[in-house]
Amino acid sequence: MRVHGEGTPPGEVREVSASRVTGLLALGLVVSITAALCLGTVRYTALDLVTEGLRGLGLTSAPALDEARTIILGEIRLPRVLLAALIGGALALTGALLQAVFQNPMADASLLGVGSGAALGAVIAVKLGWSFDIFLALPAAAFAGALGAALIVYLVAENMRSSSLTSLILTGLAVSAFLSGVTSIVLIASEEFRVRTVFFWLAGGLEGRGYVHLGLAGALIVPACLAAATLHRPLDLLLLGDTEARALGLNVPRMRLVLLALAALLSGATTSIAGSVPFVGLMAPHAMRGLVGPRSSRLLPAAFLAGAILVVLSDLAARAISDRYDLPLGAITSLSGAPYLIHILRRTERG
Amino acid sequence: MSDSHLLAIADLSVRRGSRDVVRHVSMSVNASERVALVGPNAAGKSTLLSAIAGILPPSGGEIHLAGQSLAAFSSREIARAIALVVALHEGAPKLSVLESTELGRYPHTGPFQSLSLHDHDAVTRAIAETCLQELADRSLGSLSAGERQRALVARALAQEPKLLLLDEPSAHLDIGHGLDLFALLTTIAARGVAIVAVIHDLVAAARWATRMIVLHGGQIIDDGPPAAVMKGEALGRAFGVTASEARSLDNASASTWRFERRLGG
Repeated sequence: MRVHGEGTPPGEVREVSASRVTGLLALGLVVSITAALCLGTVRYTALDLVTEGLRGLGLTSAPALDEARTIILGEIRLPRVLLAALIGGALALTGALLQAVFQNPMADASLLGVGSGAALGAVIAVKLGWSFDIFLALPAAAFAGALGAALIVYLVAENMRSSSLTSLILTGLAVSAFLSGVTSIVLIASEEFRVRTVFFWLAGGLEGRGYVHLGLAGALIVPACLAAATLHRPLDLLLLGDTEARALGLNVPRMRLVLLALAALLSGATTSIAGSVPFVGLMAPHAMRGLVGPRSSRLLPAAFLAGAILVVLSDLAARAISDRYDLPLGAITSLSGAPYLIHILRRTERG
Repeated sequence: MSDSHLLAIADLSVRRGSRDVVRHVSMSVNASERVALVGPNAAGKSTLLSAIAGILPPSGGEIHLAGQSLAAFSSREIARAIALVVALHEGAPKLSVLESTELGRYPHTGPFQSLSLHDHDAVTRAIAETCLQELADRSLGSLSAGERQRALVARALAQEPKLLLLDEPSAHLDIGHGLDLFALLTTIAARGVAIVAVIHDLVAAARWATRMIVLHGGQIIDDGPPAAVMKGEALGRAFGVTASEARSLDNASASTWRFERRLGG
């Protein structure tokens, strides 16, 4: 509990500390991005980044790094790191939206079948060769899959009229398992090069992603983020529960559908670009809720920044841990996310 | 007839699942009235409140608000005139009292506007009227039951309603906080707000209300001044008891009620 001094208007204290948290997170993101740009098989100093940045803007004629190093920094590492930040923010936002829709702090794309729906859509696109022939086929198919899975889970959970954690997770697990089964069947009947493509894609990662992917992800994620930001007041009403939200004039079923569509759009975008990157949508909003409170106007930006930091650093770890392979990004977030989930469950169990 | 009343309900039926939980209810409420809605468990009291608040659609009949059919209003328009305080529950324990009260302005601002000066005024007034200034920064989860109930009333007042509906507002309160709450509701009614409250405690209901309505099996079986309703045959039939007024020997004006289980009831 926070105590404020006399003369402080009520409500001010949490506001100040919330904006301080958000400021620190923004700083943390800048530091993480700088570290991710500097570290790796090819290393740069912070000074290199500054000179390259100024040269890129045409502000200095200082001697350049050698050509290979310039290309690695500008054409490979920079888009990858920015993409990591964007994907991470989008994953965290997806989690926060789904948690509002299901009025459950443990809801997450990977627990709700949205991820495996997107995976199935993408796998079908690879299997049928669309992804090799048509530029936007993979993200489009992943998006369709995410939306389909989200709708199935929504309809099943709605039909049970129960939003308890257990039934929610079990519904998500069941739908996930079903879709994964279908994915396996599609894969088993595929040529080996397709299976390999799909496997690396499913493991989740940002290897070899460039400005095209950054632009594609941005075109889907940025508008969805802005839309989510405008809905912070309805999101707060959902915190109160169905009856009270409706008594305050919110059309709850319609708002749920809008939020679900946004979450599916975000999840489809992230999954189609980066494959499956689990647990970010669970960890980032959960940790931030404790720091800035449940109101969406503060929670959404904080969660976005925290998710961005998490994925930038995870991707750095994926590149830096082994000097022979890029490890899958999804494996890194799972390795940190699964223990975190167990930690939350243990704390909840103890009350 | 509907023009003269704030709330006029005609032949209202409300279905839940496959059966009508509220059946052919007609009643009207005027400004400043304090109406206690009483009845045994499963009489349809909460369902009736939800229907008046526009949350459950009627399966028959009509509800008029200030002469106009409720069906013609959007849910936000309804929420500007009618506030519902649901039975005490955990809600959003991490919201502060101030944040929770600010959500009461949603029907006036809508999803995209931020709070205006007038909105902040309404929030401040609601918090002052419920004496929550000292607790404005505390989270709902850290409040006592009495304080939390007042916080829910504060949110309803921030809506600036003409009609305030409450579902068992005193259910989890000890006697002192219960009396405080009813005193607060009386003050609110005195400035023109009509109040309809579901109240379990018949004695508390009779003491507070200006009018009692007895709901039984989804139908209104009695409606009138508390003294008459308490002695009436209908109340006894609904609860399976007989009520008698017992005057105190020391103070002839203070009255209380005695209930006895009806034989064969």
